[in-house]
Amino acid sequence: MMARRMRGRGVAASWYGIARTATIDRAGAWAELDDGGTAKVVTGVTEIGEGILTLLAQVAAEELGVRPEDVTLGDNDTARSPEAAHAGATRQTYMIGNSVALACRDARAKLFAEIADHWDVAEDTLRAFNGELWAEGSNLKMTMEEAVAVCKRRGVVPVGSGSFTAHGTGLDPVDGSGSPWQAYVFGTQVAEVEVDTITGEVQVLGIWAAHDVGRAINPRGVEGQIEGGVVQGLGQALMEDYQLDKGHTTTHGFAKYILPTSLDIPEITSVIVEDRDPLSPLGAKGIGEPALVPTAPAIMNAIHDAIGVRITSLPATPEKVLAALKAKQQSEQQRQAAE
Amino acid sequence: MSDFEMELEVNGRKVRRRIEPGQRLLDFLRDDLNLTGTKEGCGAGECGTCSVFVDGKLVKSCLMPAAKAQGTKVETVEGLAKPGELTPVQRAFHKTGASQCGYCIPGMVMAATSALRENPDAGIDEIKERLGGNICRCTGYTKIFEAVELAREVIAGRLNPATLEADPAGESFIGNNVRRLDAPSKVSGRLRYAGDMVMPDMLHMQVLRSPHAHAKIRSIDTSAAEALDGVACVITCDDVPGEDGFGVFVHDQPVMARGKVRHVGEAVAAVAAEDIATARKALKLIRVDYEELPGLFDPEDAMQPGAPVIHDYAPDNIVKHIPVRKGDVEKGFAEADIIVEQTYETQQVEHAYLEPEAGIAYVDADDVVTVISPSQNITHHRHMLAHIIDRPINKVRFIMSPVGGGFGGKEDMIYQGMLALAAMKTHRPVKLVFTREESIIASAKRHPSRVTYRMGLKKNGRITAASFRMISDGGAYGMSTEGVMRKAAILSCGPYDIPNVQIDTYGVYTNNTPSGAFRTFGGMQAQFATESHLDICAEKLGLDPFEIRRINMMRDGAVTHTQQKLGSVSLARVLEAAEKASRWEAGPVGQRGPVRGDLGGEGTRQPCTLGSRIKSADGHNKEKVA
Amino acid sequence: MLTCDTYRLPTSLKEALALWAGAPEGSRLVAGATDILPWAREGRAGDVHLPEMIDVSRVAELCGYEIADGRVRLGANVAYQQFLTDPVLRSHLPCMPYCAVWFADDQIREQATLAGNIVNASPAADGVPPVIAMNGDIEMARLEGGEVVTRAMPVAEFIMGPGRTKLAGNEIVTAVTLDSMQGYGGSFQKVGQRRSLVISAVCCAALVKTDASGEVFEDVRLALGGVGPVPMRLTDIEDMLRGKRIDRKLIAEASVGPADRVASRSRVAYRKAVVSGFVEAAIEDALVELGAPEPTPEQREAAHV
Repeated sequence: MMARRMRGRGVAASWYGIARTATIDRAGAWAELDDGGTAKVVTGVTEIGEGILTLLAQVAAEELGVRPEDVTLGDNDTARSPEAAHAGATRQTYMIGNSVALACRDARAKLFAEIADHWDVAEDTLRAFNGELWAEGSNLKMTMEEAVAVCKRRGVVPVGSGSFTAHGTGLDPVDGSGSPWQAYVFGTQVAEVEVDTITGEVQVLGIWAAHDVGRAINPRGVEGQIEGGVVQGLGQALMEDYQLDKGHTTTHGFAKYILPTSLDIPEITSVIVEDRDPLSPLGAKGIGEPALVPTAPAIMNAIHDAIGVRITSLPATPEKVLAALKAKQQSEQQRQAAE
Repeated sequence: MSDFEMELEVNGRKVRRRIEPGQRLLDFLRDDLNLTGTKEGCGAGECGTCSVFVDGKLVKSCLMPAAKAQGTKVETVEGLAKPGELTPVQRAFHKTGASQCGYCIPGMVMAATSALRENPDAGIDEIKERLGGNICRCTGYTKIFEAVELAREVIAGRLNPATLEADPAGESFIGNNVRRLDAPSKVSGRLRYAGDMVMPDMLHMQVLRSPHAHAKIRSIDTSAAEALDGVACVITCDDVPGEDGFGVFVHDQPVMARGKVRHVGEAVAAVAAEDIATARKALKLIRVDYEELPGLFDPEDAMQPGAPVIHDYAPDNIVKHIPVRKGDVEKGFAEADIIVEQTYETQQVEHAYLEPEAGIAYVDADDVVTVISPSQNITHHRHMLAHIIDRPINKVRFIMSPVGGGFGGKEDMIYQGMLALAAMKTHRPVKLVFTREESIIASAKRHPSRVTYRMGLKKNGRITAASFRMISDGGAYGMSTEGVMRKAAILSCGPYDIPNVQIDTYGVYTNNTPSGAFRTFGGMQAQFATESHLDICAEKLGLDPFEIRRINMMRDGAVTHTQQKLGSVSLARVLEAAEKASRWEAGPVGQRGPVRGDLGGEGTRQPCTLGSRIKSADGHNKEKVA
Repeated sequence: MLTCDTYRLPTSLKEALALWAGAPEGSRLVAGATDILPWAREGRAGDVHLPEMIDVSRVAELCGYEIADGRVRLGANVAYQQFLTDPVLRSHLPCMPYCAVWFADDQIREQATLAGNIVNASPAADGVPPVIAMNGDIEMARLEGGEVVTRAMPVAEFIMGPGRTKLAGNEIVTAVTLDSMQGYGGSFQKVGQRRSLVISAVCCAALVKTDASGEVFEDVRLALGGVGPVPMRLTDIEDMLRGKRIDRKLIAEASVGPADRVASRSRVAYRKAVVSGFVEAAIEDALVELGAPEPTPEQREAAHV
């Protein structure tokens, strides 16, 4: 007779490739340093909720010397913005982030050339941050608002463009050999669960998620991606189950298709590991998809640790867990009887 | 029908309207009052995107007939703060990054507000219970909980409101927790998703969907539907002027069924009418003559010789087979001390983004066919639609509206083609919003998988060979199956240095709901098998689960299963980080739970036992009695 | 999609009964109305057109509750949330807060009524097991010659099967009357696919009263939901325990029997497996409510030897 509530822990590791698979991936962006020391950045695809707009504003602000809130992002219109392809494949930070960085550097170079000439200093002494521009080793300093005005008075609109490429190669049709991605990430998650041996219900109490993201541009945003990925992984591990009966769904709404609610959520501890990408200006890689990969196996391994049964077919519903536990207890009883 | 005379107060203002008697409060707020911060996510009271206060009590406005609000005071997300201002709850959501796609967020802000109004001192367990009717698909709720607790402290005066301000810039914006720029519009309900948009003279579309899994279409008669008052047009595949086909890798799916239907819920025809009710009436007047065909519902049946053929171009029903070979697996198995075999299965999973598919199409003054929708791939959609409607690429324009959750599920162009065709046929803007049920039957799912795994290992835990075979149900159309099979194959055997591998993944056509792109694109299905399998192997060899992974992990310069030489490999670092953070107690895999010393403590929550507020209320009473 | 020709909001019982009696065929009566809109959707009833909807939520006679002669009379408009928020109801109906907190979510509980839950007669209804454990009666009213006539019957009799009750076509449910269980410990066990907004696979309500010494079962009430076409009162188990000294082994023994009564159409093996553990846990939890210590795993194990 087990206690009603049994706890256990499990671990799973994972890896993932960044951006499109086994092909050349590319994305484009335009940038302009605008009046008032503000900036316009235009690219073809952005936000699906992951926070890329904010990340791009951070990248643009950093590269252009303005503040994130000074950046206006024009985006997501095939007739008004450069191609940046799709919002998926954990490619947004890597592809769009780097193309925006390159476009901003291009625009900044136009501005710096004018200001360097205006101040009669070398271009490489110029620095810009948080709305101010200065020349290192001098007391020359002005606001970005003034800098843009000077540049324009000299007849130059500081605009730039950028295109970033990730060089994947196709797979050989016979042995699959090839280099599908130029950047890889790795992750590991530990799960702690409690199994109710009366009902078979599993509660996940803790997840520790360590993920290499290359470089965390917005750590809180990275955590948000990890937490969201973990909970989607938990949903698939324990409850979500799209069911069909001869092609007709029997889970036609959210009353039948069961999603995790606030009461199903473990404490999630994110550990961000930064192994910078050497092949891109930002050094960041990505986190959107990889965060989900190890969650379900970590939970299944934890269930095994708690009650000694292996669930190899998802989801581990209370019914499935209890059936496995009863089967295990029965076979143990039979074995004991035989001994 | 007798209109219902409504009189109530909404966000502090008296409102008088004649409404349709059966109308929901949700529709009244959104359609009659244009208060679109209140969203529709499911229409069945299951998601909470439509939460509003009625006489101070939070309710789900999709479950409430509008007439029930007669004489009440209704407060929506728009009424929480004055225009341009945010409440502490909204500011806390902004501060903690509690909004991602934002579609659940107005409802979530309402539920958080209600929780703190009902009990300003609510503890975390009570807060979680009070948010229990609101689903969030993006955030994992964690930042939402943090926001509610932060707001509670600020409201109670225990924390300085300055806590809600932005972090200082420091020396760099990279690595800085800059608050989300789009959060204020999301927490206040001001951001308009496609379903919230209206255009003058707009028509409403409804779609006729297949009741059969596999059937030949003998004929479609739309004449009665077209004749109905208020119907502007009916479209079928006959209205497609160009090459009819879309898909992420293979263009095997027509905009609407052409000649046959291949899954239940496939679009067959669509109506654009002056209002939704008329469009729905018209759907019932379309006569489709089907001849049912034998259906295939299991990929292994579909792979049998002589199985019915679903797409003529693929007589074996295989969408894609990806092989990966490295070394000599037979030699590797011969060298092994133990061989562990096991099968694994994963299920079809629904994306369940809270925003159902929605879009508006119109033809602009320059004859550009324009589609506004939460598409995850406007670039590719533009290319495909140009071919489908036979127009130059620059005469097709896609605008990506705010995406209320995607996760891969909005990469497929499953409805934008219909909107474009109707807009071209009527030269009026046409809008379509899926119901939740429609979204579930018509959109792609995560590929289910069946993996047969065989792994050979030395006694010391070193893997000598792995054979991995995955069969995956692609459903009725190709969508992203090819890419999913490829990614699954590449990642299948995990980040481990295995000298000999044999990997095969098969995506197979059936008459089930199509499978498509879903966050991890085959990666989770494959690695679920590998990571479960390693645990079994560790158990058999008496190894700690971290240990078996370390013994086999890829290191800097490792060569992958596809024979790519890697640079830096961070696996050792993430293993160590997770081990340390979780205070992992090492030991061989087995049923160790009951004797582990690392359970509970930091990083874990208390198990949920519902009713924390009952205990605190009763405690309160007992004190009073005493 | 739900459409209707007329929506009525009567304020008195007489008015409501008259409207209901005169409503065209196919009209519907609603109170909380939380079930009707999800019902009129694809996958269930699809598009539904109703001639008339009569909303009784403002009928004064149906609101509020009274306590007299050891019985609690709940007006038909009493919504689930009241079992959590009203201290008087909490004290007289001690298992109802636990039942309520498992029922749907806070928002739906503001609207959904216990009476409506009973009338729906779902085999998985959370509210019915506690009601039958508390000897619940249901009260119905109709008009006869312009006068309001009422009748009442036990809820256990009223519910005939899934979706079927003894409510006549011209009647409106006016109240649910329950034993006052002041001094009892109450508990509610439930399992579904998650913990909020979830349909019961199995649920079990328990109410336990001990004698002054706290060592003898003075009274026990037990009922199960989700295990057959109608909820099930476990009177024989109650009888087994009543008057007996409280003993974990006895509780464990008493809990074995009900598993064999599972008569649901699906998931029989699972429900059987859960039921025994639930009955035992429900009694234990109710005792804990009365101040008994939580049984330790060792005690639990000893009880099952």
